[in-house]
Amino acid sequence: MRARGTFEQELTDLQQDILRLASLTEETIYGAVQFLLQQDVAGANQIISGDVLIDKLAQEIEDKCVKLIATQQPIAYDLRLAITSLKFLVSLERMADYAVNIARATLYIYGYPLNRQLMEYTSKMSRVVQQMIKEALDAYVYNDAQRAREMCSLDDEVDFISAKIFQEAVRAMREKTQPQIVIPAVYFLLISRYLERIADHATNIGEEVIFLITGEKRELN
Amino acid sequence: MIKNNIWRAIINYFFILLIFLAILQFYFFYYLNLGWALLTSFIFALGLGWILFKQVISPLKKMNMVTKAIGQGNLNQELPFYGQKEISQLAQNINDLVRQQKKVLAQITAEKNRIQTILNSMMEGVIALDKQGNILLLNSAVENFLGIAQEAYLGKNILSLIRNYDLERAVKRVLKSEKPITQELQLIYPEPSFYYLKATPLKNQEQEKEGIVILLRNITKEKRLDQMRTEFVANISHELRTPLTSISGFLETLRDGAIDDPAATHRILEIMSKETGRLAKLINDLLHLSKIEERRVVHRWQLVQLKEIINQVAAMFQPQAQQKSLSLTVEMPVELPCVSGDPDLLAQVLTNLVDNAIKYTPPDGHVLIRATTDKDNVQVEVKDTGIGIPPEDLPRVFERFYRVEKARARELGGIGVGLAIVKHIIKAHGGSIKAESIPHQGSAFKVTLPTEKIETEE
Repeated sequence: MRARGTFEQELTDLQQDILRLASLTEETIYGAVQFLLQQDVAGANQIISGDVLIDKLAQEIEDKCVKLIATQQPIAYDLRLAITSLKFLVSLERMADYAVNIARATLYIYGYPLNRQLMEYTSKMSRVVQQMIKEALDAYVYNDAQRAREMCSLDDEVDFISAKIFQEAVRAMREKTQPQIVIPAVYFLLISRYLERIADHATNIGEEVIFLITGEKRELN
Repeated sequence: MIKNNIWRAIINYFFILLIFLAILQFYFFYYLNLGWALLTSFIFALGLGWILFKQVISPLKKMNMVTKAIGQGNLNQELPFYGQKEISQLAQNINDLVRQQKKVLAQITAEKNRIQTILNSMMEGVIALDKQGNILLLNSAVENFLGIAQEAYLGKNILSLIRNYDLERAVKRVLKSEKPITQELQLIYPEPSFYYLKATPLKNQEQEKEGIVILLRNITKEKRLDQMRTEFVANISHELRTPLTSISGFLETLRDGAIDDPAATHRILEIMSKETGRLAKLINDLLHLSKIEERRVVHRWQLVQLKEIINQVAAMFQPQAQQKSLSLTVEMPVELPCVSGDPDLLAQVLTNLVDNAIKYTPPDGHVLIRATTDKDNVQVEVKDTGIGIPPEDLPRVFERFYRVEKARARELGGIGVGLAIVKHIIKAHGGSIKAESIPHQGSAFKVTLPTEKIETEE
């Protein structure tokens, strides 16, 4: 009975660990985009150095998770919880890495003239992406498969804005009057790519939440 | 009491004994045969049993049921009184107990409701957590801050409610150290906002740690104002310095000999006077704003012909518009009703609006002043084909020191008080102002003022 009790506790702890990592990832992504839009180099540097903590936390949770599977041999929902936790870890950590890439791009484009339109699109895209992450994690917190299913419709919007950024960047680069716009435009293209990847990972988390709750694998996009 | 009971028991005992002896007597003296004797005692036994059942067992059964229900929390139960004295007393005691319980419960509920009401009327968010960091209670301010319903979160971990690393760490730290801490917190959802957080350990009567209470105060507005103030100081220094630099530069030129050249002196004085004017205007604007905000402006309250004011302002800006090759047109009906107010202040409103319109409209654009009227109101609209205002900035343009795009605003001058002045003046006149804008296409500011209804004697 006692063993069961600690096992339950370990599972709850694991879920909390995941949420803790998720909170860090969410903040990192938000910060990275904000500092990009505000051209805040100090903030961007902070984001880059903060990644160490995320990596460390992810490593710790992974060890814990492996130990849990090895010693407790969970089954059914509990096993799914352990497995999805492992997958969340990878996704969350990867998302944070993309955020770091965005922060690095902020450093590279600092001082260049910026295209207002691109900034606006990026801001909009980041809002949608963050909404997706929030929905996916909320679905996890609430154990709400429906929410996870609904969240994926946002992915189309991300793709749409990403296409717009592509068009605008190409248009800006074609303007011969301002050659110094090319470098920031290229970085904005990369940033839109990073955000898109983050959205994909958010979708993955959504899929995993559905798997966790219902036990069925589903491609959401 | 006990004596009384013993006496009753003895009576009962002798009564039953008497009946038994009587039956025995009848049996032995052949008044009854065995069958009859048995039958009689059986009937007596039945009678006794029935009495026992009616008087003791059935009330006990009923009590059993009721006390069980009470134990399960249903206090709306009342026992009837019974014939048997002891049992009826017991029933009464139970009833008293239940009533007492009910009273205490009502008191506690009232107390709890009072505290809940106090908690809910607080501006600050309150969250109580237990030792594990699970939510015990939160007030409606938190629900508002986070856009969630309390029921969904009770008993869940704080991380499920607010996914914030700093907050969770603060909770952990307080639980460990048992010392209160305060810090600032930035939350991303549902809207990016700043909070001032105070976390205090919660202790029970034995001074053991029970959990933690978190107080959250929304300081987003203060933060914003702070930021605006910082920017304001930067802007104002810049704004003040530019004319001053030029004035002191020209003074130097004059002192270095230019004063002997009448033509140059004249030109330099002209520039210096213009720069001084700029400085004066800036300082006036600032003073004006602070006066209006402190409501120290003495309103020369009178009937105002808006028509005249509009024409005046339009005439005043015509040269400036032509310089930028903008067309400045006025559209208004022949008859425009009077409003009551201060003509200078209303002229200031229009001046600020038209000045902005001209400032933010690129060459070859149009600025339109249009006045319309309905039964109760006069509407004055200043519309331009300028660069417009992004939708996210639109709600904030009337805040003082707020500027949509810092770099560009500095280039064009201005410190971000024009629209704040406008809003205050319109408010003082009982009117309203609305801004509409489409980026890159233009903005429109609509002022609505109530008309003064007077019967002219003419």
